[in-house]
Amino acid sequence: MTLAETQALFHEILTSAEPVAAERIEACFAGTPDHPASERVAIYANMYLWRLVDALRETFPQLVRYLGDERFAALAEDYLRRNPSDHHDVGQVGRRLAAFLREHPDPERPDLADLAELEWARHQVFFAPPAEPVGPDAFAGLDPASFSRTGLVLSPALRVLVLDHAAAPLWRSLEDGEPPDAPSPGASAVAVWRGGFDVFHTPLALDEAIALEGAASGDSLATICAAFTGREDPAAAAHAALGSWLAEGWITAVAQPRDVLAALDRRVARR
Amino acid sequence: MTTSRLDLGHGIGLRTRHFAQFMAGRPPVDWVEAVTENFMAPGGRPISVLEKVRAEVPVVLHGVSLAIGSVDPIPERYLAALQAVVKRIEPALVSDHLCWGAHRGQYVHDLLPLPYTEESLAHVASRVHEVQERLGRQLLLENPSSYVAYRDSSMTEWEFLAELTRRSGCGILLDVNNVHVSAHNHGFDPQEYLRGIPVDRVGYFHLAGHSDKGKYLLDSHDHSVPAAVWELYRAALHRFGRVPSLVEWDEAIPPLDEVVAESRRAAAIETEVLAPAERRLAS
Ligand SMILES: [Fe+2]
Repeated sequence: MTLAETQALFHEILTSAEPVAAERIEACFAGTPDHPASERVAIYANMYLWRLVDALRETFPQLVRYLGDERFAALAEDYLRRNPSDHHDVGQVGRRLAAFLREHPDPERPDLADLAELEWARHQVFFAPPAEPVGPDAFAGLDPASFSRTGLVLSPALRVLVLDHAAAPLWRSLEDGEPPDAPSPGASAVAVWRGGFDVFHTPLALDEAIALEGAASGDSLATICAAFTGREDPAAAAHAALGSWLAEGWITAVAQPRDVLAALDRRVARR
Repeated sequence: MTTSRLDLGHGIGLRTRHFAQFMAGRPPVDWVEAVTENFMAPGGRPISVLEKVRAEVPVVLHGVSLAIGSVDPIPERYLAALQAVVKRIEPALVSDHLCWGAHRGQYVHDLLPLPYTEESLAHVASRVHEVQERLGRQLLLENPSSYVAYRDSSMTEWEFLAELTRRSGCGILLDVNNVHVSAHNHGFDPQEYLRGIPVDRVGYFHLAGHSDKGKYLLDSHDHSVPAAVWELYRAALHRFGRVPSLVEWDEAIPPLDEVVAESRRAAAIETEVLAPAERRLAS
């Protein structure tokens, strides 16, 4: 057998849900009378799934808490059969788990997909590149007339999620070991970010999430503020939102929109 | 290319469980080994910890995903990430495993053994060249623990490694525990293995624990170094002389002191084995 054929066979033994015929195994692999080749390759086949399930366990601790070890392992196995690892970092193997749960929703808890998306975002921001936030006076002296010519560069360790259910309360009750409330359907936004080495998340009003997503894609401050027009006092709401973004360290530069876009381009190029 | 036998002393693997202690003070060991892929992300705690430790003791980067023996091309994404972390950390040595583990873009995240054939040898040697060219430095490859062999193999693992290092210039990271585990699983003589490895190619030793699964030994890294591995380590010191050692502990990781104690034991055994010979040389 060529090296390529050998590797294709071994890979099939590890990843296939159906057992590979013993003759094919015996033709390639050598064993001993008391420990035949088929038992020997089974050692690898058993470890293959467990290693990846373990990696998923680390990334989705609340999902494990909700489902329990056995149900989580069954879900992980289903997922991995269809979504094998395609990245050298085993920590990336859960990248499509939220999407998988959306396609195969749990009948009792359709919000598990949202919980998985939240946990994945927490995992991502933990490893995101560092960036220094601007100081508390970054907006000081900014003339409102220049708002249409000013944009924001947001921290690379910030994610804004718009989910189909409120996942933050579910995450909280699991974290606290409390029985979770029934799923609460409806669009729900969450910001996830890293401060120092710690990961945080907080629910966001939908208009604030839209404003943040706009800011992330290079909108001017004027457009960002316009997201709050539905509020009773839009100017006050925009002011409060920008103040809290600043306080949480989500803003890393206040700049001309074209500089914001250049910063975004650099960030995309680094990926 | 000869293998630089650095005077690193005795180190341990850097693991998340001990991050807080590594941040709080100077590491209580001569050097540390870090699993390369766990430090490739540009931000977050792991890389910050590693940079802090790197300022204090030498660091060796030890990869698990290069898949040097896979027939897949080595992904540019991987090479670029490896190059970036090597540039950032400036490790004393860069190592990975003599194995394969990626197939058509899919990673199995395991260290799968290769058939030891002329075809594998030519393939791995050319891949070592590619990586060494890219990094501009020597790569060390570690002998894996294995549980199965191939009908097509035409040479032993030690013959393969010796010829590979001759052809490609790579160094050898000799895992003493893996020699013991594979010798048991395949029924060869571990002393013969040691005798087959060229003395001047060994850059450092790995020491670790394994578990007895009845029909085979599993390379589990889940407890202290067992007596049989310490015995083989003594034999290796007799053959290879003063070689840096690294204690690996990856499952059921104990408090830092316990891992450090294993590393001190490696140092003590080295002195015990080598001091008489070195005294003779000096007189
Ligand atoms: Fe090792």
